[in-house]
Amino acid sequence: MEIKHTALAGTLESSDVQITLSEGKGISIDLDSQVEKQFGKQIKKVVTDLLAKYEISDVKVHVVDKGALDCTIKARLIAAIQRATDTQNEQNWGVLE
Amino acid sequence: MDTIKIDLNDPYYYQQWQKLIEEEGLYIENLDDITETIGIYDEDKLIATGSYFNNVLKYLAIDPKYQGGNVFNKLVSYLISDLASQNIFHVFVFTKTQYQSSFEYLGFKMVAQSRFSTLLETGDYSIDQYISELPKVSGNNISAIVMNANPFTLGHRYLVEEASKKSDVVYVFVVSQNASLFKTSERIELVKAGTKDLNNVVVVAGGDYMVSFVTFPSYFIKSRSDVVTYQTELDAQVFKRIAEALNITKRFVGEEPYSPTTEIYNQSLKKILIPEIVLEVLERKAVGGDIISATKVRQAISEDNLEVIRKYVPETTFDFIKTNLKDLLRRINNGN
Repeated sequence: MEIKHTALAGTLESSDVQITLSEGKGISIDLDSQVEKQFGKQIKKVVTDLLAKYEISDVKVHVVDKGALDCTIKARLIAAIQRATDTQNEQNWGVLE
Repeated sequence: MDTIKIDLNDPYYYQQWQKLIEEEGLYIENLDDITETIGIYDEDKLIATGSYFNNVLKYLAIDPKYQGGNVFNKLVSYLISDLASQNIFHVFVFTKTQYQSSFEYLGFKMVAQSRFSTLLETGDYSIDQYISELPKVSGNNISAIVMNANPFTLGHRYLVEEASKKSDVVYVFVVSQNASLFKTSERIELVKAGTKDLNNVVVVAGGDYMVSFVTFPSYFIKSRSDVVTYQTELDAQVFKRIAEALNITKRFVGEEPYSPTTEIYNQSLKKILIPEIVLEVLERKAVGGDIISATKVRQAISEDNLEVIRKYVPETTFDFIKTNLKDLLRRINNGN
C-alpha cells in the first residue's frame, strides 16, 4: 500500500504512543522513547512487522513512545496507516492475529 | 480532568485564561495572533492552557500545582492532534530555553537556540529536510542574501549584483510572508526574473525557516525591551544553521539608516554569525539622490502612479505590476 498523505494517531500521554506517518523513500523510523535502550529494538520490530503486513515499503515513521505496550503500538499504527492510506472504512482483519 | 476548546472572546473564559497566563509570568500580546485555545479543567478550575496560531504553539501555561505531571503531555498532545485534524502536521514552538528538554521529551527537535529562547519543531518536516532539498553548489566563496522583495526593486538588484561580483555563488533566500502585498510565489518569481542574467545567483524559497522575525512570538519574554534582540538573535541562529550546511561564508545586507529595528537586526547578525560567517553591509542604491525602497514602490502602486514605479524597479517587475495593477490595487483596498 502507498502512503497518500501524512497522518497521525495516538497521544503523548503516559502508556500511549503518538505515531506520524508521512511519505518517504524506503522505511525510516525515528523513535523517541525513554525506554529506547531497553525496548527500542522491540518497538521497531512491531512497527516494521506491521508495515510489512500492509505491504508498505516507502514511509517515514515518527514514533513518540510514552511507555506503550505492543498492543497499543499496533492499534495506533493501524489507525495511522488507515488514515494515511485513506482506508478507514476497509478493515483489514488479516493483519490482526 | 476535561480538555475543552475555550473562546477568548467570552469574558468568562478570558478572565480565567488571563489570570493563569499572567500568574505564569507570560505576557499577552495580540489576541489576533491566536487561532485556537484549549483549556484543561479540574472540576471548574482552569489548570492548564495552550493555544496555536497557524502551525505555532503558543501561550502554554500550567498551574504550578499541576506541573511536572502528565498535564503538560496532555496539553501538547491535544494541540498536536487538533492541528492534525486540520491536516497541519509540521508544528513549531518557541520557548524559554529551560523548557527545551520538556518538548524534546515529547518528540520535538531543536531548530535553533539563542540565550533567550529555543525554537523546536515536530511532525512530518524538518529543517534538515529543508536543507537537503536546497540546491547544492561548490565554490570557496559562497554568500547569501535574505530578502522580502515586496516587490523586487533596483535596490535589490544592486545588492544581488554586488554580491554576485564578490562571490563564486550567491544564494538569494526569499522570505515567506503571505501578509505581504506581493504573494510569496510572486516575489520569488520576480527575484528570479530580475536576476536571470546573473549566472552565479541561486534564488530559493525561505520556506518555513526564513520568515520575518517580527512574527516570532514573544509572550514568554519578561523584559519587553529584550523582544527585538530575542527575535533577531534567534533569526540569526536559524540562518546560521542553514548557512553552515551550505558552506556560506558571507551574508550581504543593505544599509538601513532610518530603521532602528533593522539596526538591531544587523547587530544581532554580526554578533551571532561571526567568526564563521562575515556580514557585509552595502550602502543603499539611490536614483538622483532618492533612495530606492519597496515601500516607495508600494506607495506608488496605491497611487496608481506607473511613472514613479518605473524609476525604482527593473523591467521584469514593472511589467508584472503593469499587468496586475488592478489586482494589486484591489489587494491594497482589501487591507493587504
